[in-house]
Amino acid sequence: MGGFLPPAERRSGILLGFYAALALVLLLTGERVPQAAIRGVGAWVFAPLDRIVLVADRMSAAWRENQRLHERVTRLELENAYLRRAGIENQRLRESLGLPAYRGPSLGPVEVLALTGEPIPTAATLSAGSRQGVRLGDAVVTSEGLVGRVGEVYPGLSRAILLTDPNSAVACEVESTAVQGVLRVSTSPSPRLLLTGIPLADTVRRGQLVLTSGLSVRYPRGLPVGRVARLDRDRDGLTQVIEVAPSARLSRLRHAFVIPGPPHPGGPAEVPAP
Amino acid sequence: MMKAIGGFLLLAAVALLIRSTALSVLAARGVILDVLAFVTVVWALRWGESWGASFGFVLGLAADLDTAHWLGRHALVLALIGYAVGRLARALVRDNPFTQLVLLFAATVIHQSWALAFELGHVAGWRFLLGHVVIAGLVSAPLGVLLVAAVRAGSGRSLFSLAATEIDSRA
Repeated sequence: MGGFLPPAERRSGILLGFYAALALVLLLTGERVPQAAIRGVGAWVFAPLDRIVLVADRMSAAWRENQRLHERVTRLELENAYLRRAGIENQRLRESLGLPAYRGPSLGPVEVLALTGEPIPTAATLSAGSRQGVRLGDAVVTSEGLVGRVGEVYPGLSRAILLTDPNSAVACEVESTAVQGVLRVSTSPSPRLLLTGIPLADTVRRGQLVLTSGLSVRYPRGLPVGRVARLDRDRDGLTQVIEVAPSARLSRLRHAFVIPGPPHPGGPAEVPAP
Repeated sequence: MMKAIGGFLLLAAVALLIRSTALSVLAARGVILDVLAFVTVVWALRWGESWGASFGFVLGLAADLDTAHWLGRHALVLALIGYAVGRLARALVRDNPFTQLVLLFAATVIHQSWALAFELGHVAGWRFLLGHVVIAGLVSAPLGVLLVAAVRAGSGRSLFSLAATEIDSRA
């Protein structure tokens, strides 16, 4: 058939055939290709450019955010004074009950350089990497709640897998009820976060807060994940389908914090601030 | 040749950069601007089918690596779009805004349908897919035509004049 075409068309046809075949081979075997190293180079190349592009967006948002934060700081200072008193009381009560003292997680601030994934972001490039103490599996949060976990670490950058990634699964519980489930993303009929594996007998209400549970290996217990947005039964009528609206605005991530995961044997326990 | 390769790499880098920063925020709010399909169509209109397919493949592969799932899905469809638009460019008036509108709409719809089908992975998502794809086409195509017109007005010459020369010389 190629003989009927002029040479230029034949060449471009062969080229297209090569590209199509290569793309199909990658589609079938791509999961076996070690992509992390190539992505690391890409992240390293694009990180300075991402920073430049984001400057304009961040400067325009900084003024409004500054005003909002001033108001929030005032409100939180008042709340903090109340909580400090309550904390002292709580400590005394825990001591009297023989419970260990509560220790909050340490936070390593990072900048979100780029978001990846359509129609909703599934991964984010972070401005800190192994040099800053970020490790594989560390939890990533914002002041609003859980964002995801670190999936790839490079020397000066890292890549976070967001809650919306198809491979993400987070052990969660519903606030104050201790109802336990696993948070996963469902892409059908439209992308949404679902709390799965909850029997019909468990009572869950709209608006309740969903937190990371103590069963989670990767995440500290009690991190806000989202709120119950919708309740339904699954197709088989055996369990509930609970749609969760994420606490963190995953499409508007600018700054985040890395929380170090459980310490590895012999490894560092804390993430120093970059 | 070096100028073309430089433009090739620069355009691909800019498209990927915009996609992962400004456009990802819009996409999450339901406003889908398909910059990958847009630059592939523009490149294929200007340089013909071989360069169009090559550009689509390289750009798509970079987008696939960035997304980390289903390596090759963007590369395949963008290479085919680049090739098809490059072939059609010989028979079409490339500077006609209506031609550009139709090509951009078709390219966006094909690219988004193919790429999103992998994400949804279930027939039940067809309503979402249809809405997403139609919005992408309706937003991306007119904005793309406006951008081409703006570049033409700014530079004072057609973006696609070189393609005509190349094809004429080949003919």
